[in-house]
Amino acid sequence: MPVSRRQFLKIAGISSLGAVIFKACGFDAEENLVESPVNLPEDLVLGTDNWYASTSSLCGSGCGVIVRVFEGRAKKIEGNPNHPMNRGKLCVRCQAGVQQLYHPDRVAGPLRRSGPRGSGEYQSITWETAEADLVQRLQGAQASRVILATDSLKGRLATVTKRFVEALGIQHHSFATIDQTTNLRAAMRQLFGQEQLPEFDLDNTNFLLGFGADILETWLSTVRYSRGYGEFRQGDHRDRGTFIHVDSRFSMTAANADKWIPVKPGMEGILALSMAYVIIREELGDKDAADAMTEGRGFEALAAYAPNVVEDMTGVSENDTIYLARRFAHEQPSLAVGGSSAGAHTNGLFNLAAIYSLNVLVGNIGKEGGLRFNPAPLSPAAGDSLPDSTFRDWQSIAADMGNVEVLMVRNTDPVHGLPQDLRFQEALPNVPYLVSFSSFMDDTTAQADLILPDSTYLESWGDDVPDPGPGYEMVTYQQPTVAPFQDTRSFGDTLIAIAGRMGGSAATALPWASFKEAVQEGARELFALGRGNLTVEGSFEAFWSGLLQRGVWYDQHSRPEVSVNPNPLPTEINPPVFQNAPHEEGMNLIVYQTNSMLDGRLAHLPWLQAAPDPMTTVVWDTWVDISRQDAELLELKSNDIVEIRSQYGAIEAPVYVNRGTQPGTVSVPVSQGHSAFGRYAENRGTNIMSILAPLTDPNTGALAYNATRVKVTKTDRKRTLPKFEGVVEALPAPTVDLIQIANGKGDAH
Amino acid sequence: MPITPKIVIPAVLGLVIGVILVMAAVFLTKAVFSEPFQVFGMGAAPDQPIDFPHDVHVEKVGIECMFCHRTVDTGASAGIPAVEQCLFCHKDLGREQYILPESEELEMLRAHFEEGEPIQWNRVHRLPDHVQFLHEAHINKGINCSECHGDVGGMEVVGQVRDLKMGDCVDCHRENNAPTDCLTCHY
Repeated sequence: MPVSRRQFLKIAGISSLGAVIFKACGFDAEENLVESPVNLPEDLVLGTDNWYASTSSLCGSGCGVIVRVFEGRAKKIEGNPNHPMNRGKLCVRCQAGVQQLYHPDRVAGPLRRSGPRGSGEYQSITWETAEADLVQRLQGAQASRVILATDSLKGRLATVTKRFVEALGIQHHSFATIDQTTNLRAAMRQLFGQEQLPEFDLDNTNFLLGFGADILETWLSTVRYSRGYGEFRQGDHRDRGTFIHVDSRFSMTAANADKWIPVKPGMEGILALSMAYVIIREELGDKDAADAMTEGRGFEALAAYAPNVVEDMTGVSENDTIYLARRFAHEQPSLAVGGSSAGAHTNGLFNLAAIYSLNVLVGNIGKEGGLRFNPAPLSPAAGDSLPDSTFRDWQSIAADMGNVEVLMVRNTDPVHGLPQDLRFQEALPNVPYLVSFSSFMDDTTAQADLILPDSTYLESWGDDVPDPGPGYEMVTYQQPTVAPFQDTRSFGDTLIAIAGRMGGSAATALPWASFKEAVQEGARELFALGRGNLTVEGSFEAFWSGLLQRGVWYDQHSRPEVSVNPNPLPTEINPPVFQNAPHEEGMNLIVYQTNSMLDGRLAHLPWLQAAPDPMTTVVWDTWVDISRQDAELLELKSNDIVEIRSQYGAIEAPVYVNRGTQPGTVSVPVSQGHSAFGRYAENRGTNIMSILAPLTDPNTGALAYNATRVKVTKTDRKRTLPKFEGVVEALPAPTVDLIQIANGKGDAH
Repeated sequence: MPITPKIVIPAVLGLVIGVILVMAAVFLTKAVFSEPFQVFGMGAAPDQPIDFPHDVHVEKVGIECMFCHRTVDTGASAGIPAVEQCLFCHKDLGREQYILPESEELEMLRAHFEEGEPIQWNRVHRLPDHVQFLHEAHINKGINCSECHGDVGGMEVVGQVRDLKMGDCVDCHRENNAPTDCLTCHY
């Protein structure tokens, strides 16, 4: 029987409709099952969610979270409303924390390399075997030739690591791709003798002057600052504050300011001293402080910084400088904050010290609405501190890689983050044994011989003492909200287990049975203090469960008393040094962290890849911001691929013509360009860190990551940047006439 | 006779409509007359992977329902006990308290515990997805378990005793002055 095409389609369509109708009457066989769990959980009620208080360890700002757990699975992360740092708010990065837990490319258990290095061939082994492997290597190596590289550690994890490192006699180094704290900490030490980073009372300030510090995006404790900023702009019992931002790049923070003042890269400190000159000359600030800061010489001491003298250098006109200085001095309380790009130059410390000196000059130190200090961490309750290493330390490590016998890496990615000039990646094959504690195949872990995967923060114990803190003593606690999803173990537990196997002094130095015990030991100290937000008479167990319910211990009455002796201001101009592009001066390259993925450590989470950059709306890619003027000169249009070449190499990326970009600069986000790191990050975009010049601030050793100049060349290729902008046609906003309805006498209410 | 669209379309349509009508008739007949409600694939008393005699535990030993169904007064679901809970009694305490050491069923139970493998029971009572039922509300109101579940103490294998269809729910709600708004159960 012949059936035509038309008939066949009809019959097929009708029978599939029938199939759908039949199918809809049934349900999955699985739904007819009901499960007896193996163990009896105290708090499990089927169909009811539990919320656990914990602390996020994704970015180091120590925000308190509450995690919604439904039948043993973490579903949603929210801010802890009672936490001093974030008071219930949370940033995009923390929201994506659950994706770390369920990431399809997680390292599911201990692995031993079976193919050549970097081939990705691994065999799965047990924790027993993995520990034995590492212990054997550690015992066979000369201790001083063993390096443990971690992120910046705080709290009890720092205590455990410190004891481990000291007992074994090995080296410890911290690594951060974008180092925000070294220069800032040095400035705080120099100006105020403080080891802790300060607390900015944005909530109560009237006039906020930012220098580079992207307080609303990635700088230090973003959520804490954003919360303060909200209060500053639209708090209930105060007038709206004014925010002026001085930055070489038009960041989202700059876009939120009432006025953005573009400054030439690295000239922030000179501008600040120029403002100081005006404040002293016009006698607007604290006279005693002014005398001390100029050693009694008055504004003459700062003659080198007179606004008309430096206006060409800073790119800020004399009038603007005077305007800034007057407003800053008049609109009390005012606050100057500096960081990010202001500290990312060879004169980074000079810049930051000059910026924070403005606060001294107008008498805002320790005051409401001004710059406040954080107390030293409560020792021993808050754990020991481990000194942070600088880029200069990493330069010597990279130069001496031939002598390293075992390199252990935890939660940091030097292969991705170190400039190519250091030849770190090339030297890596010479290191006989590379161990990673990462739960993800990042660029460094992909080279490892042995992987002992760390649990995520949702699966493990911990505590944190955020630096900067909230202005008073605080320890925030992290508890496992779910059982480990894979065969992973927390870094602290791994160190304790390895020390136990090593025996001798290592086992004595780390006497705990688990990392939880080490955390509890700190909590016992807090219990003994008998003050703060939680005091319990009697048993520690009651205190401990109270602590886990709250997720944080703090004492608001522990604000430090600090007296400040103003330091003399520098009288000589300290200009930044740049590394020019090959054969020409080139354009200033401004490198910055993206709002969502930071320096790339969160590039493996697809929600963050897909979170649009707030200024350009670009997602999933690396792009180059270039000004309209420069784009015209180079005959560039958006989406044209350009080559960006420094003395140390070149990268290619599409251009985004941005009218907020300063002519003479190009800005490129760091965060992409991973050669590994799971399916969402691998081979996506390019890594700008690789072509940076290895220039540092000679006083601190911090990488001057904005000190590279580059040559920008057009290629004949294009790649359309994935972005939201332009997807929907923008409609012109209707114009509304303003009508005055009464004379503003103020008695209308 | 050639197959033309003139014949095929009404024939297939008629077939489909006929099948739908038959299905609807079966659905309605079963829904009205069957006890329990069998359309959604529920048997009266399904077999279980491990023979757990409710009668022995309830009637002979005298264990309260809530000892095992722990969340009946705190959650929507009454709660299925964990394997660990069975072992409260059925484990070797090194004394004479080991209950039924030779039972094959208990051997299976211990195997589940040792291997960390949850037990998948066959569901006895299943309400359609569009109905929400909260055990908590009923128990705290003072409704006895046996009102709906029958004399479980007398059943070796538990089966469904009430039809638990909407009419049944509404009747009971009316008798007890409980709300009969749609949104009480359908939300």
